[in-house]
This record gives sequence, C-alpha cells and structure tokens, in this order.
Amino acid sequence: MKSKTFRQGGHIPHFKSDTEHQPIVTLPVPERVIIPLSQHIGAPCDPLPDVRVGDRVTVGQPIGMGKGLCAPVHASVSGYIEAIEERPHVCNRNIMSIVIRREGDDTWNEVAGKGIDELSAQEIVDIIGQAGIVGMGGAGFPTRVKLSPPPNKHIDTLLLNGAECEPFLTSDHRYMLEHGEDVILGLKAAMKATAAQRAFIGIEDNKPDAIAHLQSLTAQDSNIAVVPLETKYPQGGEKQLIYSILRREVPTGGLPMDVGAIVQNIGTAVAISEAVKWRKPLIERVVTLGGPGVLQKGNYLVRIGTPLSYLLDKCGVERDCGVRVIVGGPMTGVVQSDLEAPVIKTTGGVLAFTPEFGRRTDAYSDCVRCGKCVEQCPMYLYPNDLGLLAEAERIGDLDRRHVLDCIECGLCSYVCPSNRPIVQFIKLAKPAVWAHRNRLATGSGR
Amino acid sequence: MNPYILSATGPHIKAKTTTANAMRDVLVALIPITLVSVYFFRAYAIFLISVCLTTAVLTELLFRHYMKKKPTLRDGSALVTGLLVAMCFSATTSWWRGALATFIAVGIAKELMGGLGWNRFNPALFGRVAIILLAPWFVAINASLSPWSLNLGPVDVMTHATPLAMLQQGMSLPSYTTLFLGFPGGAMSEASVLAVLIGAAYLIYRKLINWRIPAAMLSTVFVFTLLLGKDPVYHLLTGGLMLGSFFMATDWVTSPINNRGKVAFGVLIGLSIVVFRVILAPTEGVAFSILIMNAFVPTIERLTRSRTFGHVKATSPLSRMVRTRESTAS
Repeated sequence: MKSKTFRQGGHIPHFKSDTEHQPIVTLPVPERVIIPLSQHIGAPCDPLPDVRVGDRVTVGQPIGMGKGLCAPVHASVSGYIEAIEERPHVCNRNIMSIVIRREGDDTWNEVAGKGIDELSAQEIVDIIGQAGIVGMGGAGFPTRVKLSPPPNKHIDTLLLNGAECEPFLTSDHRYMLEHGEDVILGLKAAMKATAAQRAFIGIEDNKPDAIAHLQSLTAQDSNIAVVPLETKYPQGGEKQLIYSILRREVPTGGLPMDVGAIVQNIGTAVAISEAVKWRKPLIERVVTLGGPGVLQKGNYLVRIGTPLSYLLDKCGVERDCGVRVIVGGPMTGVVQSDLEAPVIKTTGGVLAFTPEFGRRTDAYSDCVRCGKCVEQCPMYLYPNDLGLLAEAERIGDLDRRHVLDCIECGLCSYVCPSNRPIVQFIKLAKPAVWAHRNRLATGSGR
Repeated sequence: MNPYILSATGPHIKAKTTTANAMRDVLVALIPITLVSVYFFRAYAIFLISVCLTTAVLTELLFRHYMKKKPTLRDGSALVTGLLVAMCFSATTSWWRGALATFIAVGIAKELMGGLGWNRFNPALFGRVAIILLAPWFVAINASLSPWSLNLGPVDVMTHATPLAMLQQGMSLPSYTTLFLGFPGGAMSEASVLAVLIGAAYLIYRKLINWRIPAAMLSTVFVFTLLLGKDPVYHLLTGGLMLGSFFMATDWVTSPINNRGKVAFGVLIGLSIVVFRVILAPTEGVAFSILIMNAFVPTIERLTRSRTFGHVKATSPLSRMVRTRESTAS
C-alpha cells in the first residue's frame, strides 16, 4: 500500500533507533510528586475544597477541578499533601501546584466498569471528563470538550494520530506495539462518543511493525483502516494529517471539526481505554527519554508529577556537563530552565542534548533567498518574508501575509542556511499581530 | 530579539546546509569546466582565473572595510563570483578587463546593493555585461595598457570563431559530439557542455539548485528555435546557455523563491534568449536575458504567489490593495 502524504514539508533525521525497540519500563515511583493545576489548554483547575496541606490522599483521587475548558487533575500517588504553592512547570513559569509526599500503597485498584456497548455516548464522554484526559500529543486540549462538538458540526471521521513525526520520540510507537488493544478500544470509545462512522489510524511508514500490528488487530473492523503515511515532517501536525488521509483542508482559523474530523493522539486513546475499562484516571504516561546526553535511553511509564530531575537521575544523565534538557521533541520542544519541573499529561518525551549537539553557534546572517523554507513550509507560507517582516515589526503586513496560519513546526529555522531564527521571529510577532487585529476590530466599531 | 524565545524554543536541531558550504559546493561544481579550460587554454586560463579570484577577494575586503561591515569572506560568495566572471570571458581577454568586471561584480553589483542576499542582479553577469557596455572606453584603455599585457605563448585553438557566430554567419559547424564534449571557442565556460553538466548534476544532487529553472529555460529555447526553423540542438549546445541555465539563472538571491515563479522565470529567460539569438546580436543573449529577468523577479514572485493552506485564494496584488485601503479607511 502506498503511503499517503501532504504537500511540502521536509525530510529530517529521525534519531529513533536508540529507543524504538526498547519496551516500556515502569519507572519506580518518586518520593514526592508535583501536580500542576494547569496541564492543558484552557482554564487552570482550583484545588478541591477538601484538599488542604497535611491531608491524606489516595492514588487516583481528584484533587483539582475547574469549569469550562478544563480537565481535572488527580493524585498520582498515595500520601500526604505537603504544599499547595507555585512550583516550576515545564512551560518555564511557576504554576500553582499540589505537592504530594508519597506514603503507602500506590497501585491503582481497577474498578471494572461497563463495556463500551453498554455505555451511552454521554456516559463515555463523562467518564473521559472525570478521568482528566487531555490530548497527550503536546497541546493538551481537554478530550471531553473535543469529543462533544456543537450539534451543528457533523463529525463523520475520527483520525488517530500515530505519525509521531518528531525525531527521537517513540512513546506512541511503543504504545501501539504493546498496548494495541487499548489503542483500538480507546478509538472505538471515541467513535461511539462522537457518532463517527469511520476511523483511520495514520502511522508514518518508518514504523512498519506498528502498522502491521494494528492492521491485524483491526482486521475484523470494516470501519477502521490503518493508513501508512510518508515519513515526512510535520506529518503528525493535525492539519497535515487530515489532509494526508482525507484530502480535506482545515480552513484558516478553523478546527478539524469544521471539515467533519476529530483527531486523537495514540496515548490519549490508551488513556481513554483505561478509563472506560477500569475508571482509571490519567495518573501515568509513557515518556521517551532520549538524546545523546542520556545513558539509559528508553521508554518509561512515569507517574504524572514526577520531577524531571528524578527521571534524569534514574536514566544516567550527567547534569553537570551542561546538557540542555528539552521537554517534547527537538523541533517544537522547550528547553527547561528548572529541572524540578514535573512530567505532566502532555509530556511525551524528555531529551538531554550534549552542549555541542544540534547547534549552530554562528550568528545569523541575511536571507540569501535559497527558497528552502518556502519549498518546505507545510502551510504554504513565505517564511523568509515573514521572518524579515517580523524582524522589522511590520505587523499589518505580517497579518496580510497570513502569519497567524503558521503552525510553528520549526522547519523554516531548521533548514535556513543563513541560520536565521525564522520561527522564533514569528512566535515573537504573533501576539502583536493579535493585538493589531483587536485594535482594528474595536476601531471599526466606532 | 527576546533571548528566551531564541534559546528555549525549538527547533533544537539544524540542517547541515550553510551558506558557506553551499558556496563551496558551487566551487566544486565548477571544477570540471575549470579543468577543461585549463586543458584548452593553458596558462591563459590559469592567469585570468587567478586575476579574477584575487580581485574578488580584494574588492570584497575593500568595500566591507570602507562600509564598516564585518568581513564575510568565509561565506565564499566572493570566490564564486570571481570564478564565474572569469568563466564568462575568453581566456585571452586582457587581464584588466577581467579585473574590472570582477571589481564591478563584487563591489557594485553585490556590496553596494547591500551585500549577499540583497543584490537584485546576478553579480557575475552584471560585471560581464558592464564590460560589454563599457567597451567604447576600452579603446583608449587597451592602447595605454597594452605594454602591460602578457604573452603567455601561443595557443593554437584561439583562432576559432565562436560557434554562435559561426551559426550566424552560415559557416559549417563542428559536430554535436564535438560541441558537447569540448570545443574551444568563445568564453571559457563554453569550452565543454559535458563539463558544465557534470557540475550541474552535482548541484542538483546536493539539492542546491532547483531543476525547474534550467528545465524551463532549456525547453523554451529548444521549442522556440525549433518553431522558428533553426537547429535547436546547436542552440542548446552553444554559447553561454548551459552555464547560464545551471549556474547563473539558478542563483538563489536573484531568482524567484517560489517554484511556480521559478518556472515562469525560466520560460521568460528562454524566450528572451531566442529573441536575442534570432533577431538581435548573436552573442551575450544569455547574459542580457538573465539580467533583464532578474529585474522582474519581485513582479514574477508577486504574480505567482501560492495560496496559503486553508485559504481559498492567493493574496493577489489587487485584493491586497483593496484590503489595504479598507484598513486605512477604518
């Protein structure tokens, strides 16, 4: 079967060979976990009224909740609440968090629930909401909200995103190989919740074992198909994935539901499955630990709230020699300023890069118009121009040249022979462009 | 620049291609034709190439020093320009013409335009064409400088007329094979089509040039010379067409940045070359054509701009003007 793909994009090295064959290993539970009250897009949670410093909590107990676009957070270990205060977060700011000192039994007692067939669509959505599940691919959109589209949006297709196009990351790959049944069950639950008639599982063709495994598991399901995708960055971008599989373009400013599709991450499907089967909340996830600075590279099952420092120490990272620790993939991930920040629901990878790895230290120079960024931009933008306009702070021109359509995949900065930080310029300018739009909107009302 | 965004956000890996190693690859790609030139023209070729390379380096140092800019010799673009200028001349050209062409190419066409990336015209061709346009001056200069010209011994192949002139004058031409493999007449770069193509293949293999421009140029020349009843193969194999399509028109800085624009650019250059060769002067049509189209690159880019993903239509110049007026009105 020929792999499907999207237009433009780029071929970048995968760096996956170190961890793609490493089975998932459960990491020992740390002495202390830090549960940030914001691990998703949307409103942060508030600590529940009966959660106070000194109280005892048991594993899986909800400790923070909120209204609207929000997902509750749960205690990932049993123990005593040590503090409720601002703590370092992987977004490099301090975020209100609940710190739990571990004591007692940490095993989650499975509560056998009803099967999907006996549950209504609304019940499935409620279970997912109570389990605190969010998109685990990075953005962290609350899954309950995603699976409850407004009634005027008809969803015909559910897409499962197994592209995992970021270099180094292999957690979704391992989920598919070792938890294939859960992936399919979670997918079916999401299909039932949204009344989607069919589903596609898109997987980059550098993971033939995962493609074959899921194909064999879905052989009996006529409405689920596994789709091999070309290994090309950013194949796992939501808009690119929809285009590759369905040939539909999400309109500017729109959401996948505008073209009748919902995209779910592989890890999210596993979390949905565990919530439906056992009422298990999202208290742990698989994290790829990789990069040239890590001795014991691998895929680890880690409790939410585990400090990065603990994870790095367990995997033999020498922190004194100036490694850069990146949360996420090397294309879109963020370098950490404080390693006491914890693993959160969206943390798919933690990478340690040695000081010289991947860097170009020379200063950036003028654009030589090689056209590589234009040729590869998956949104068909002109990153060279956007970079120059952003550098010159020409906000109106940036808006007219569709800077807000940029998905910040980072390919432009990756390919630039002049070492220009193009995507960084764009990220910096976007807030000003939004402000400019707001000014125009209020100005025309007068 | 916000230091946090610069250092903390991705990407944290980087492609290997840099401007400097791209320029180095262009120099590598020019090795075959340089060797052929040296084979045919011996000391004359070596001397002219050395003059142009030295002038290029000195000119860049001089201009950047007086413009109080950091030296950029390490990006290698001066050497590429110097070598390309030399390749545009016949080997027995007097050294001061080569030196002046290089000075104009690097100093005026590149540095005074703002440096690499900001130049509108291909520097090497600009320098070459400037010498043609300044030819009347050279009557006096040639006379006064002739005592300093070098005689590097006889090279018997120098008496050939250029194939394009032979074509124009209805003389009998060398065979296709001879023209393809090696025929010393005209500029050094015209000595062997094969040698230019080997370099071009290397550039395409290294993904440093886009095949669209040469493909559009060469096929346009082929089709239109055929339609006009000329011999299209001779037109492809003669003059500066091969070097022009693979090494000059594909210049990153002075060609359209988008693929559709590249095709349009190549077709327009091809048409212009046919006009020059069939109607106007038989020589230097390629150089003039590329330079003329260099001037239209911003227009070509604007008219061929692609639609953004998720948008219905491209931002055409007209709709942008309308919208600009709306936003200024509000």
